[in-house]
Amino acid sequence: MTVPTVVTIEQVREELADVANYAMAADLGFDASRLSESHLLFYVTFSSRDGIEFVAEVDCQEYPFHPPTIEFVDAPRKRRGTRDLYPSCFHTMPCVCARYNRKAYKALGGPHGDWRLIDWQLPTEAGPKIESLAMIVSDLHSKIAASSGRMG
Amino acid sequence: MSNETNSGGGAGNTGGGGEPKVQIKVQTPRGLWSMDEPKDATHRPEYPISAKIQNVIDDVRNVFKFAESDSKYTLFLGKVELDPNHTLASHQIKTGTLLVLSVQGGNA
Repeated sequence: MTVPTVVTIEQVREELADVANYAMAADLGFDASRLSESHLLFYVTFSSRDGIEFVAEVDCQEYPFHPPTIEFVDAPRKRRGTRDLYPSCFHTMPCVCARYNRKAYKALGGPHGDWRLIDWQLPTEAGPKIESLAMIVSDLHSKIAASSGRMG
Repeated sequence: MSNETNSGGGAGNTGGGGEPKVQIKVQTPRGLWSMDEPKDATHRPEYPISAKIQNVIDDVRNVFKFAESDSKYTLFLGKVELDPNHTLASHQIKTGTLLVLSVQGGNA
């Protein structure tokens, strides 16, 4: 099943109000200026405990039926997915190993063959459900703010 | 959860001789908690300055139904993580201060 892009963009725009408010209050960088039906991306910049900035790209294709894909990129957004772009707190694949990240699923090259994409909002043994874009950003914020240094 | 907050009073308001109170705001992933949002909130974020950060965490969880006890809940003032055992006064929180509740789930 695929989600019509018009459905995804409407859902993402609706949820981005909470994301933007959260990011502003938490002093996170937030950029959804290029969001469109053909560019379902937004960016959030987090800071680690030791002040290093990390830019997360959130790709919302087929959201909310499927989870977004979270990837860390460099500031100009030209390099992506290398360990030096990741905070030290995530899976060394490198990957944000959570149900809310498509990259964590084995079908997409991730470590988890035991998860189904359509179940992405369910809790895991290691944590409760995370059901919205703002909750995803908050989870990332909490983990990165408590971590120090780069993965590689 | 702490008891329902008192009404009236702002920064430095002694409420008729009592302890000064502050009215704060807390942004969460599910919305803003303030003196008038959300409309149906059973508590409002007004506290004596000796209230602990943990009291605020407990109350905002209650307002927004963050029921999962295995999540990690943290309050931030900008980029600064607040110690749940410290008081509002110790973090120099004043009326109008905007705090952020981060909610951490789990990894795989």
